[in-house]
Amino acid sequence: MPDYGQFHVGTSTLSTTWFLGLGAILFGLGAIGVVIRRNPLVILICIELMLNAANLTLVAFSRQLLNLEGQLFALMTMTVAAAEAVVGLAILVDIFHRRDVEDVDELHELKG
Amino acid sequence: MAAVIFWVMAVVAVLGGIGVVASRQPIRSVLSLVVVMLALAVEFLILSAQFLFAVQIIVYAGAVMVLFLFVVALLGPMKERRQLRFQWGLALLVALVFGGFLYSMLGSVPFRAPQRTALSVFGTVQDIAYGLFTKYLYPFELTSVLLLVAAIGAIYLSRGGHGIQARREEDDRRA
Repeated sequence: MPDYGQFHVGTSTLSTTWFLGLGAILFGLGAIGVVIRRNPLVILICIELMLNAANLTLVAFSRQLLNLEGQLFALMTMTVAAAEAVVGLAILVDIFHRRDVEDVDELHELKG
Repeated sequence: MAAVIFWVMAVVAVLGGIGVVASRQPIRSVLSLVVVMLALAVEFLILSAQFLFAVQIIVYAGAVMVLFLFVVALLGPMKERRQLRFQWGLALLVALVFGGFLYSMLGSVPFRAPQRTALSVFGTVQDIAYGLFTKYLYPFELTSVLLLVAAIGAIYLSRGGHGIQARREEDDRRA
């Protein structure tokens, strides 16, 4: 793993690579969840997990380079995540009112 | 001290992430995701992003996750069919390929050194607001348009008589 530099918090020294690694692990977990889970609600939750992991890497780089743009972009990502959750959940509730869906594959008519 | 906090919260976040993926009940997935978000909020604090720390707890752990909880409570317990046999292998393969891409990219992509701000003001509300309302005013306004579109879409979808459900019932009546 390449080294992305270190920074100091109080008396301890932290490496940016740790934060990137944590973000990568969480993103991977979310991606696995999207692929293997079949409940549409859980798939939405896993997408939220992936967005959060991406946010962590943005903020980590922002701190390491002492540049605020990463944090501003993380803020925008949160807005997009909120919008995505609202619309996705509204669609889900509308579908579930009609019938029980055990599997996203049953929703193939959404293809249009 | 900060390193200890980082590792503790990293372990909590990863365990929460595993809980999100592995839980059988959707409610447990949602609660595990709240754990992940709180752990990530602490990581933001270590990265001296005070404003994002507050936003993460208020907006994410507060508003978005409560929305998810409402929907889980509304829909009641859900069954999930057993997974297909090849799904785990396929998921692992995709994750490995993606990880390989990520790793090779991290090692080879150069990036410019951007402007630095002083650490004493870094991540404070003033600093964020200054960036948001000067250089990034246009993207900021665009996100408000995005939120408006999302709100209108949610209202349209949840209104009776015009949603997918009504259209289906109409189709059934016709058939």
